[in-house]
Amino acid sequence: MPPAPLLALHQLVKNYGGVRALRGVDFNLHAGEVHALLGENGAGKSTLIKVVTGAHQPNGGTITLAGQCVADLTPATARALGIACIYQQPALFPDLTVAENLALRLESTSAASRIDWAARRARAKELLARIGAEISPEAEVSSLSMPEQQLVEIACALGSGARIVIMDEPTASLTQKEQHLLFAVVRDLRKNGVGVIYISHRLEEIFALADRVTVLRDGQSVGTHAVSDIDEAGLIRLMVGREVAQIYPAAESAPGHAVALSLRDVGCHVSGVRNVSFEVRAGEIFGLGGLVGAGRTELARILFGLTPADSGEITLHGQPLTLRSPQDAVAHGIAYVPEDRRRHGVVLALPIAHNMTMAIHRRFFPTTWLRFGAERTLALDFIRDLAVKCSGPDAPGSSLSGGNQQKVSLARWLATKPKLLILDEPTQGVDVGAKSEIHKIVRRLAKEGLAVILISSDLPEVIGMSDRIGVMGGGTLRAILPGGSDPHDVMAAALGTTGKSAA
Amino acid sequence: MLLLYVLLAEWLFFYVAGTTTNRRGVIVGFGTLDRQFDILRHSCEIGLLALALTPVIITAGIDLSIGSLLGLCAILFGKLWHDGGLPIPAAAGLTLVLGAVAGGLNATLITALRLPPLIVTLGTYSLFRGLAEAITHGSITYTDFPESFLFVGQERLLGLPTQAWIFFAVALAVGLLVHRTTFGRAFRTIGLAPEGARYAGLPVGRRLALVYVLAGLIAAIAAIIYTARLGQAKADAGTGYELFAITAVVLGGTSIFGGTGSIPGTLLGVAAIAVLKNGLACLPVVMAMNAAEEMSGLLTGALLLLALTASVLPKILSNFRASRHAPAT
Repeated sequence: MPPAPLLALHQLVKNYGGVRALRGVDFNLHAGEVHALLGENGAGKSTLIKVVTGAHQPNGGTITLAGQCVADLTPATARALGIACIYQQPALFPDLTVAENLALRLESTSAASRIDWAARRARAKELLARIGAEISPEAEVSSLSMPEQQLVEIACALGSGARIVIMDEPTASLTQKEQHLLFAVVRDLRKNGVGVIYISHRLEEIFALADRVTVLRDGQSVGTHAVSDIDEAGLIRLMVGREVAQIYPAAESAPGHAVALSLRDVGCHVSGVRNVSFEVRAGEIFGLGGLVGAGRTELARILFGLTPADSGEITLHGQPLTLRSPQDAVAHGIAYVPEDRRRHGVVLALPIAHNMTMAIHRRFFPTTWLRFGAERTLALDFIRDLAVKCSGPDAPGSSLSGGNQQKVSLARWLATKPKLLILDEPTQGVDVGAKSEIHKIVRRLAKEGLAVILISSDLPEVIGMSDRIGVMGGGTLRAILPGGSDPHDVMAAALGTTGKSAA
Repeated sequence: MLLLYVLLAEWLFFYVAGTTTNRRGVIVGFGTLDRQFDILRHSCEIGLLALALTPVIITAGIDLSIGSLLGLCAILFGKLWHDGGLPIPAAAGLTLVLGAVAGGLNATLITALRLPPLIVTLGTYSLFRGLAEAITHGSITYTDFPESFLFVGQERLLGLPTQAWIFFAVALAVGLLVHRTTFGRAFRTIGLAPEGARYAGLPVGRRLALVYVLAGLIAAIAAIIYTARLGQAKADAGTGYELFAITAVVLGGTSIFGGTGSIPGTLLGVAAIAVLKNGLACLPVVMAMNAAEEMSGLLTGALLLLALTASVLPKILSNFRASRHAPAT
């Protein structure tokens, strides 16, 4: 009988309102093991982390730590039990020094006790040295780069004597050299008997680093394998789980030949976008793929006038555009359904109807007087048209599920009768049913002649939905591939390698 | 709704406790019609400032400078008429423009330089008052306004104090703006989610600018009414009024965090404070102690805190119940 695993999850269930984020997940982690967690966006990885770190309470199932069943896990007890999590975005205090940040997490002193600055510095130095980070304990966190901040987080996890370290896409913003440093740290942790849950979208990292890999899909674990027993193709099959062609509505007609949007050498210094050139035809869905931070949202913000371009030319239906503000973009018929729908897409406290007319104030209320009846009719039309599940046009945005909020955000922009629709991660965090409904709507819009730019980190989605796929990386367009391309080619282009498709 | 009952209870209490008969058998105190008109007359200026502040607070902003601006506008009006030799209507018109320009200064600092409204208007709060004092050297008071002008502040028109008609007209205008136009919609949206408003293509900067310019304009109206009521324009006019106005707005249900608020609510808030202040002055006990000012300050504060507590209590209670009855996992 092997020793009890460090962490065992049994039939874990977590619901958010009507959305079932986890529907019975089994997972276990042994001491001295790197266990990779893999899955599409929205497969339940983040939810799983939130439950394990005590941030959210599960609705069912058990969590067992070193053979002990724990109920009512809170962030504080999780930390006390030796669970540490390193998030994509380090959560450090930017105005404090590295040593102070470490002290805040690690020291437990009363308000009256004196601070031993020398010991504090020494400890910070020792922890940083252990992970081979060349960072001064005296440096203010705000002066550190993102990867350096991540290293501080790791030092923190080490210092707290964590037995379970969770890393959520730690390499997303790292350079090659920093990645190697990080890998060395992870291997060191493993050697010292720490269990590491390693979340990454980068398959080659998983093969380089992990001992076992568990694939999540739609809130369920669909398989745990030793990495030596499985190859990339096998993992992708597990992640996707179905043939791409089956789940995405097929294009019913080829896009027209009229060029709608044309970009030539577009760049923006502030947001790091440079030399982007492509064309989108009327009726075409142009996918934008790439890794997080590739510059896709930044490009969308340029097109919507949020961060104006400082070089290059943008033309829409032959007309050169100057886009200095969202009002400019709206006036020219550009619509942008943003990535962060809760902050930017829908005003949660306002009724659905208000949200839907928000971008058409000028056209819909030409005298500036509100027309409540007409607004209600318009909202009811969209609610029916897009099948928004809600109690009525007066229901606040906050009463809707994620998918329905997304439909409201979409309706707001369809109401502007746009010429170009930019969708930024339209199905992120949306349940499977609403997701396929949104796909059908987008297809229909393209068929009606709308030019669509679809930004998605969901590889099968961008491949299955797009007529052509522009792959971005490092702020620029790396390749344009045909729709339905091999996921490996898209991934290879995103990574900037010439990796061939693995059989 | 709660506030309406509070106001009624308050009014009834003072009607009973603050009305007496003097030795010659004449009814005096709170219950007389004259006193009621007096309350209305005295609440017009703070009422106007509260109306000016409601849209500002709905956008999650604040304007601390309007009381000082009232003083500055009163002085400018007096100077334009007295020293500049302008006829009253021209002086009044120019004062309104200057009030809007002063509001424009706030607006520019807040929208173009993206400085926080609290800090900007704290600065102009001192600046406007300082300007008013500089112009008058701290001593000049403009008086001897013509009778026809004093009519606005001291007489009655169609049975009501003249300035009440101006107050109601402004209330109607601001009410329509906030509740019936796309402007009001934009104010709310900006108050709830400034970034969300930007992503919806709303002209956030222009709408924010509008509320501060409007606040300056209304403060100028209040300044002219103030001058007409007292018959003199002096640099300390409206000192501390901004705090009463903020209290009235918040009492009226406008969230200090932005997004929600209504003009009818603000009017009720203004009435609640005015009745309290004037009613106390009619109570024999308070008159005997000669403590009307102190008592009204104290009770206005208590009323505000009570109203705020009452507005969050249901939520806290339901959270409490939910946490007690949460299913064990």
